[in-house]
Formats: sequence, structure tokens, C-alpha cells
Amino acid sequence: MDLRISALRIDYGADQPGLAGVDLDIAAGERVAIIGPSGAGKTSLLRCLGTALRPSSGNIEIGRVQPWQISRAALRSLRSRIGTVHQAPPLPPRQRVVTATLAGRLGCWPAWKSLLSLLVPQDIAGARTALERVDLQDKLFERCDQLSGGQLQRVGIARVLYQAPALILADEPVSALDPSLADHTLAVLCDDARNRGATLIASLHAVELALARFPRIVGVRDGRIAFDKPASAVSEDDLKSLYASERVTPGEPGATHVVTPRVSATGLPCC
Amino acid sequence: MLLNRDMRDPALTQRLLLSMLALMLAWPIGHVAGVNPAALVEPANLRVVSSFVAGFWPLAHDSFFLGLLGDAVLQTLAIATVGTLLALLIAIPLAIGSTAALSVTAIGPSPSGLWRPALRQVLRALTLLLRGVPELVWALLFVRVFGLGPSAAVLALALTYGGMLAKVFGEILDSADRRPAKAILAAGGSRLDALMYGLLPVAAAELLSYTVYRWECALRAAVVMGLVGAGGLGQLMDQSMKAFNGGEIASILTAFLLLVLFADALSGLLRRWMANTRKDGRWRALNGWAFGLIAALACLASWRHIGLDLGALFGDRAGSDIARFLREFLPPAHDATLLAKIGSGAVETLATSLVGTALAALVGIALALPAAGRTGAVAKTLTRFVLNLLRAVPELVWATITVLAAGLGPFAGALALALHTGGVLGRLYAEALENAPPAAEAALKLSGAPRALAFLYGALPEVAPQWLAYTLYRWEINIRMAAVMGFVGAGGLGQLLYYELSLFRLDNACSVICAMLALALVVDQVSAILRRKMG
Repeated sequence: MDLRISALRIDYGADQPGLAGVDLDIAAGERVAIIGPSGAGKTSLLRCLGTALRPSSGNIEIGRVQPWQISRAALRSLRSRIGTVHQAPPLPPRQRVVTATLAGRLGCWPAWKSLLSLLVPQDIAGARTALERVDLQDKLFERCDQLSGGQLQRVGIARVLYQAPALILADEPVSALDPSLADHTLAVLCDDARNRGATLIASLHAVELALARFPRIVGVRDGRIAFDKPASAVSEDDLKSLYASERVTPGEPGATHVVTPRVSATGLPCC
Repeated sequence: MLLNRDMRDPALTQRLLLSMLALMLAWPIGHVAGVNPAALVEPANLRVVSSFVAGFWPLAHDSFFLGLLGDAVLQTLAIATVGTLLALLIAIPLAIGSTAALSVTAIGPSPSGLWRPALRQVLRALTLLLRGVPELVWALLFVRVFGLGPSAAVLALALTYGGMLAKVFGEILDSADRRPAKAILAAGGSRLDALMYGLLPVAAAELLSYTVYRWECALRAAVVMGLVGAGGLGQLMDQSMKAFNGGEIASILTAFLLLVLFADALSGLLRRWMANTRKDGRWRALNGWAFGLIAALACLASWRHIGLDLGALFGDRAGSDIARFLREFLPPAHDATLLAKIGSGAVETLATSLVGTALAALVGIALALPAAGRTGAVAKTLTRFVLNLLRAVPELVWATITVLAAGLGPFAGALALALHTGGVLGRLYAEALENAPPAAEAALKLSGAPRALAFLYGALPEVAPQWLAYTLYRWEINIRMAAVMGFVGAGGLGQLLYYELSLFRLDNACSVICAMLALALVVDQVSAILRRKMG
């Protein structure tokens, strides 16, 4: 799926930086890494591309359609061809890994199949294959709240692998993994995109991973594109000025497993 | 072989078995509860209901009736106030006697020996017995003994709410900071000193707040008890019901709803007020005196309004009256025919509570989705109003109407439970939905999942445990309500009790009450086990 955005702006308000006019063309099947300091606008850009965020102004075309100009049904079908890997994978704690993975295809399954799958998982083999690629096949029937943060992040990736979308958007997809596992998992994602001819756009904190795995690097700073080069052409100076005078912040919140508090039935009004 | 085993869903067998079990149980339970949706659309029943509802307009507003209505409202307020006051008189000694926070043995070896802990256990058992019997059962009993009128309702409230207050007071005292009280006891202070200077200062606000909340509940209960002849709005409603006067019933219902709204607002106001004045010392003292004065005046006025004659209750003739009553009441009868009747009544009550709770869950889910704002602001406001209306009308009042729609029998009781509980559950479900983390559902929508499926895969698993806990908790309440539903002709143990009391066979009635208690305790245990398993 190819992407074309021009003069894209997002205004959150005075105290929060957004995007201040971004132009970017990405051809179908390209693999692009977005790097830049915290708060540069990487996540905003990805959310715009994933139609999660409507831009304040500017043009956005995904696979030659403008997502905010089409009907709801058409938008839904467009979205079913976009897969997003979230930094903190939004998986219900009580859901089983197999169900969470199969949920990737809710957009293209017929309703009866999705409904039945809630009780009897409809494609165990498919879910297992996807989980095998991120080394989690033995967790197939575990509940999500039994998994560690890194394992959950890989379940999120397995869901997108199972979805097999034409456009993969990954927001810090390996932030909760140790270095060697991060590299391996990123390689799985890249291979999947290359083999299927899908477009892959990932925001990454680890610059060396981005340079090693992605042919094209986009540097983002202060809501604008600082540079857009092939990985081989990115110089030491480019990186230095991209991350120059980065405020010392505690860092972006890591992928933590969100535990919802259990609510007991005591203490309720009783009449 | 290995592959095959890995491909099999380990939960499948259990899920299939459970589904089959549920299906197999559903039919007999529905049968016992007399589920018959066709009765709702039967022309004869429809005619009765429609002519009944058509009579609602215009509201009865002649001056004679309005005078009666005003009197009834005042009487209801008075019943709730005096009932709560007497309940406090019962609860305070029980709570103080049974709390471990004032235990002298807890601070070290003491000369008092074993009898104090034993006394605590006895008091706790008494508390359990008092609150285990629904106030409506007491009311029915007292109406038979003391005659129609508000005295029965006041005494019934005093007993049941005395038990409830004692339990919660005990819990509040137990969980309060015990160190000040312990320090006083350890320094040789008396238990009274420890209570007044150590325990009450830390727990008073919470105790008062809960008492106000209970008063609000007592108001609703006072209306319901009137339906069995214990005075107030309920008794007026019962009379209008029997006269089939729709206009009067509509007026009474309106007055009742206004009264409940008023009590709700007043109780909320008082409790906020108490929470705010806790900080500032001077205002606190002044407010405390003002509050105490107003409460005392309200109690005095209520007492005079009801004209409750405690002297007659505890006078010289009363002793022999009560003794005679107890002799007839105890021991409980246990002949085979009665036990068989109790058995089938208990099964019917259980089935009614199950069907009622299941239907309520369906009503709750259907209304919770719009009430959580998922289908726009207009639908949200509208469904919230419907939920409040369903919730405000007590089960037993609903039952007087569903009996017309579905005919006498347990199905009417189940429907009444479903209407009231549906309102309660709908609100609780909606709140859980609004508070659940939205990320999972949003992510599914973003990957193209249809709205309904995104809800089922993303939001439902987040709220399911809470929804289930709420439902089981309501089931525990509904088994008690189902037991008294029979008083208005909706089957089960209640109908049997009503019948036995009408014939003044008090020993038989005692057995039925014991069966109600036992059934409620069993359901509590089952519900607790289920909650633990699924939590």
C-alpha cells in the first residue's frame, strides 16, 4: 500500500507538540524507520497514518484513498488492511492469547465466524503459526494476564502477522524486549513485510536497530521531518543534530502491562 | 499425535459441558418458574393491563384523596425515622458488645476469662438472625399479631435494620484505627472510656453516614411493608390496587417517586455535608449540634405522629402476650406434608430468583450499552431515565403490576425481579463500561473490526468479571426478594407463609421462615464460591 501525505498538521494545543507540516511519500512495499527524540511527533505521525487521528489540516492518502473523505463502510475496509503494533499492546487481561491473536482478522471474517470464535477458536492452526514466529506457540491457550510485558508485546506482533495487512504500522514494537530478542523480532516483522510485499513503517528508539534493519530512515524533530535518507547515507552528524540538546526526560513510558483493578461486589448499595 | 494434542483447545470440553448443563437446567428451571411469555400477549391479560394503565390518567387529585395521600406520605416518613431510631437502639449495644476493637483480652492476659469472647459470638449470631429475616416477613408477622397499621412496620424495621446496622457498625469499628482505644484500655481506662475517647472519634463520621444511608433505604422499605398492611403509602396503594383505581395508583406512584428522590437528595446532601465539615473544628461543633437538634426534633415529631405505644409492648400484659405468641411460634412444625410443601416452595423460589436475575441481566445489558453513551447523548439521557425509573420502583410494587400482566404465579415474581434488578444492573453495568480501559476496543476498531465485534472482543472481556460479580451479588438479594414475592400472589415460599399466617398456624410459619433463612444462606455460599472461581 502506498502512502502520500502533504502539509500534515496536528495541533493538540499550546503545551503539547503535534505535527507542524509534514510531507512524506512512501511507495508500496517500502520499509521505513522513523527515529527522533521523545516528543518529536513519531507517535502522532503513525496514529495519523493508521486513521486513529484526524489531522488538523493537510492531505493524507492511504492506498490512493483519502480516509476522511470516504464512507464508513469503505473506511472500515481500509482499516482492515492496516495493522498496528502498539507500544503497550491493548489486550484484555482475561482474554486468551489464541483469541487475542485471532482478533486480528475480525475485519475480514464473516460475523458468524467471529461470534463462534469467542467460544470455539476458529483458526487455532493459523494463530499457532503466527505465535510460532515470535516464539510464543507454547502460550497459545494461556490468558494474557499470565504473560510478561515482553511476551504481551510479541502477542501484539503475532496478531498483526495473523492479520497480514497491506500496511504495517509499528510504534516502538520491541521496546519491552531485551536486545537480542528485539533484533530477532524486528527481523520477523521485516521479513513478513518483504515476503508479502507489504509496507512497513516503524518508529524506533534504538537507532542501530533502525539502521541495520530498514533501508530508509526518516528523522523527525519538533513535529517536522529533519531528514529522509537511505540508511546507508545517514551520517553521524545527522544523528547528532537530530538528538541534539534532547531534554533529559525520564524516557517514554515503557510497555507496561496494564492491570485493571478487580472490583469486588462488597460495598455496593443494597437497595 | 503431538501436533493433534497441541491443536486441541484444552478449554473446549469444559465449555461444551457447561453449555450443555446450562441448557439442560434451563428448561426445568423455566418450567418451575412458570415462564410463559405467551401470557404477556394473551388478549385477556392485555385487556386487563391496558385498561389498568389507561386508568392512570388523569391522576387522582380530589382534595379528599390528596389529604389521604399527604397523611400516608407523612406516616411513611415517620415509620422510616422511628424505625431507624429503634434499629439504632438495638444495633449500638450489639455492635459495641461484638466488636473486637474494645476487647480487653486482645491487649494481653486478663482476669475475665472466656465468657467475653463467647458473649461476642452469641451477639454475632443474634445479629445474623435479625438481619437474615427480611423486614417484610417480620412486618407480615407483626400485622397478624398487633393488627393493621404502622406499628408493625416500625417494629419490623427495628429488628431487621437493627441487625444490619449492628453488622456494619461492627465492621466499621473493627476496621477503624484501634490504637487510641487500645492505649486507653492498656492504661487502665474502662471500656466506656475507650469507646468514647478512643474509638468513636475515629469512626463517628462513617457510622453517622451509614445511618443516614440506611434511613433512606428504610423509607423505601416502609412503602413496601405497607403492601402487607403495615401503614403508610404502601397500605394506601394496596387499597387502591384492590379497588383497581388506576388514577389513585398513578398519584401514589408519583408521590412515592418524589419521596424517593427527596430522600436520595437529602441523604446525599447530609453525607457530603458531614464529609466537608470534618476538617474545620469550629463549624464542626456547631454543625454537629444543629444536626443533632434537627434529627432529635424529627424523631420526636415522627414518634408523636405514629403514636407508637411502647408501654403497651413492654407493659405488664405484654409479657404474657409475647410468651403466648412465642409458645405458638415455637417449636417449628415439621410434619411430612408441610415439609413437602416447603420443599416445592423453596424450589419455586429458587427458580424464580434464577429466572428473574437472568432476565434482569439481559435487561441490564440491553440498557447499559446506550446508558454508557455508546449510541449518542440523547439515547444516554433517555436510557438513564428509564433505568432510574425501573430502579426506583421496588420489586414488590412491580409485582402488583406484573401479576396483572402475567397472571398469579412465580412468573409474575420473576418479571418483577427482572424489572427492578434490570434497572439496578443496567446502571452498574454502564458504570463498569464507562470506567473500563478503552484501548483494546479502540485498537480492534482501528484494524477494521465491526463495532459489535470490537465490543465483544475488546470491551466485554474487560468488564465481564465485574458484570458477573454484580449479577451474582444481585442474585443473593433476589433470593430473599423472591421468598417474599408470594405475599402479592407471585408463588414460592412467600405464598406459603402468607397462607399459613392467614390461618394463624404460627408453628408452620416458623418452619417456612427457617426454610427462607436456610435458602438465603445456601445461595450466599454458592454465589461466594462462584465469585471466587471466576474472579
